[in-house]
Amino acid sequence: MAGLLWPCLPGADAPSRHGTAGRSRGVRAAVLATTLMVLCQASRADPIEEKVQLCNACHGENGIPQDVQTPVIWGQHQGYLYLQLRDYKRGTRKSDPMSTIAETLERDEMMALAEYFAGKPWPRLGQPSASDAVAAQAQRANVAVNCTGCHLGAYQGDGTQPRLAGQRREYLVKSMIEFRTRTRGNNPGMSDLMLSISEEAIAACAEYLAGLQ
Amino acid sequence: MARLGRFAAIGTAFALAVVCTASAQEVKTAAKYGDMSTVTQDLLNRAGGDGNNFLHTNGDYNQLRFYPNRQINVSNVARLRPAWIFQTEVKESLETTPIIVNGVMYVTTSYNHVYALDARTGEELWHYKQKLGPITTYCCGPNNRGVAVHGDMVYMGTLDAKLVALEAKTGKLVWQADIADPELGYSETMAPTAVNGKILIGTNGGEYGIRGFVKAFDAKSGKLLWTFYTIPENSVGVWAEKDATGRHMLRDIAAEKAQLAQTGDPYKTLGGGVWQNPAVDLALNRIFFMVGNPSPDLDGSLRPGDNLYTNSLVSVNLDTGQYVCHFQYIAHDVWDLDAVSPPILVDVRNSQGQVVPGVLHAGKTGHVYVHNRNDCSLIRFSEAMVPQENMWVLPTKEGARMLPGANGGVEWSPMAVNPGLGLTYAINLHQPMTYHVESSPYPQGKLWLGGAFKVIPAEEQWGNITAVDYNTGKIRWQVKTPQPMIGGVLATAGGLVFTGEGNGLFKAYDAETGATLWKFQAGAGVNAPPSSYTVDGKQYIVVGAGGNVQLDYKRGNSIIAFTVD
Ligand code: HEC
Ligand code: HEC
Repeated sequence: MAGLLWPCLPGADAPSRHGTAGRSRGVRAAVLATTLMVLCQASRADPIEEKVQLCNACHGENGIPQDVQTPVIWGQHQGYLYLQLRDYKRGTRKSDPMSTIAETLERDEMMALAEYFAGKPWPRLGQPSASDAVAAQAQRANVAVNCTGCHLGAYQGDGTQPRLAGQRREYLVKSMIEFRTRTRGNNPGMSDLMLSISEEAIAACAEYLAGLQ
Repeated sequence: MARLGRFAAIGTAFALAVVCTASAQEVKTAAKYGDMSTVTQDLLNRAGGDGNNFLHTNGDYNQLRFYPNRQINVSNVARLRPAWIFQTEVKESLETTPIIVNGVMYVTTSYNHVYALDARTGEELWHYKQKLGPITTYCCGPNNRGVAVHGDMVYMGTLDAKLVALEAKTGKLVWQADIADPELGYSETMAPTAVNGKILIGTNGGEYGIRGFVKAFDAKSGKLLWTFYTIPENSVGVWAEKDATGRHMLRDIAAEKAQLAQTGDPYKTLGGGVWQNPAVDLALNRIFFMVGNPSPDLDGSLRPGDNLYTNSLVSVNLDTGQYVCHFQYIAHDVWDLDAVSPPILVDVRNSQGQVVPGVLHAGKTGHVYVHNRNDCSLIRFSEAMVPQENMWVLPTKEGARMLPGANGGVEWSPMAVNPGLGLTYAINLHQPMTYHVESSPYPQGKLWLGGAFKVIPAEEQWGNITAVDYNTGKIRWQVKTPQPMIGGVLATAGGLVFTGEGNGLFKAYDAETGATLWKFQAGAGVNAPPSSYTVDGKQYIVVGAGGNVQLDYKRGNSIIAFTVD
């Protein structure tokens, strides 16, 4: 598939090879440009595989994202993935690459992409398990606001409720803090909950969740 | 040889086909009960006196949860033991009430599976899995509270807000209707109610800014017959300053009026879910149901007015869905101490001592409320069943402590009534919490809490089962449990009360005294309402042990039937 795509891109080097945290900005900009180009070229009838290649450039050919602030979307739930794409397009959730990407997508394409990625296996990032002390702090936060009442047993999620187990730690921290500051404005309920717990509790939750599978 | 072989093969195939048909036939008709499996309206009407079946989620249209058979009773309940245990495919929160029709039991699980079981043996007759759409929006677990039965069909509401009708004999899908759009926060976990050719169902979504309703669908075709919006277009009300018990709610009515002038009536996104079955008064041709909290739960600033008919008992006409009367317990609620546990129709004494048709409801506030059925008015409320402190302190940014916590009191758990004793049995939570407020605009179907309720980890939690004399409002007896209670209660003519706990214990109490007469460790939280049935002359008690998402009780996948022999 890549053969189909990359020849029409400027600087056809697959971005996945450059995806270190330090260089991620430039990579993202480049990938974004290519993404937009291809998305714009792609007609509605095109199979989503072409778009998938572009998503993979950042979210990982094997489901493991290059940048630590880019979330795992392989194996994430379809309803949740769809809602995020919808919200990036609506503008209630904002992100440099994703807002622009989502702008070009129609509902059925979002659904198809969401279905495709939901059908992939969740990758193993191999993040370390949290220490007992950190796990206990995360559990206290869970007792206080009942995270698992929504994110469900073992933080596996379902439907529009995201899986958190095994998500990248840095991304988890970022998303929770952005809920807290309402920078991420697409779920006021999560914002309220994050405002009711401390930043230390958030850090503990992220570390604990990252270490689950 | 070849020819013969082919012939023989055909012969074998034919024989097999016949065998299969025969055994399928047996399965379909549950052996000797054959033709009796049609659930007529007459059977449904008389369910309260039916000592064989269990036809409604809450026992009968009055929702007494009082089973009339006394074969299992105070003198032999100590010998109750498991007759069979059925393990479902889904190890997750069980809230199902088993429904039993002539020896066939119907149970549901989380994620909308339905099982038909042989009620004598627990053997599986069929298993239906709803293929859920990608979008499901539900706040409190992927629960389902069971089916309704009517004619030759069973009915279930789904997490993606559909109503499905299955053939009772085979589990085959007959029709499916959209109830509402799950992308806007609607979902179904309640069991429907079947009456007079209609299937009645409410909706979840009070945490997502929905506009709540009860809908009636045609049982045969799935066609929508009527919709009653639990939020009227004029939701402002009378600017009530006190709750149903006379306590001041500290509303800033001037600020609300200013907001109303600015933004208008908030009815379109005001919440008002209906979580549990309506009770049906067949003589009055009316239904009674409870309407839940306003959206957003804790932030009242965006929703001026009393927020009718949230936190209310409501009655409407069964044929048309026309409003008849309502009673609001807490106007402009900002604590999510709403009305969820299903209403019960029973004769009660009014304040002059006359016996009148009444309605009972157990609130998250920890009171049992007793109403006049005619006009929904309040006759009395019971003593508080759990500690109440600091009511009604307003939620703050930092969090204000108030008891009860936001789960109650009595959550969705149905009560049971022993009409002979004049007692109603409620299960309660004691879960100290702080209430936090935050403000944000309507998020188009996303979680909209307007703040948070936080359990105070250092404080002790517990539960209780409480017997309330509904003719006086006095507590007759009360038994404390080590954990907050959620699930439901069954009372029987054998003088017993059954209910389960999060720690896996399922217990029988003496209905008069509260003495524990029997207990069983189910291995997972018993947080589902029990039911009872009789088949081949033998009475059983049956309950699901699957734990609970909301209180994080140990999950399991068992349906356990008990009998004495
Ligand atoms: C240029 C890199 C890049 C590309 C290309 C890209 N993404 Fe993303 N994606 C990101 C980043 C970074 C985030 C996190 C943004 C944020 O914090 O809001 C993200 C977030 C998401 C999310 C939200 C996940 C969550 O857990 O909330 C979804 C869904 C998503 N992307 C889907 C896609 C799809 C589908 C494509 C292809 C059409 C795609 N992305 C292409 C970088 C990219
Ligand atoms: C009342 C339900 C509820 C509770 C309780 C809850 N969450 Fe969430 N959470 C959600 C929903 C819904 C989303 C998806 C938000 C959206 O639609 O964008 C979410 C999203 C998240 C995300 C972002 C995931 C991603 O891929 O971007 C994180 C991280 C998270 N929650 C962590 C937690 C933690 C930790 C707790 C407990 C301290 C918690 N949540 C409690 C409902 C809840």
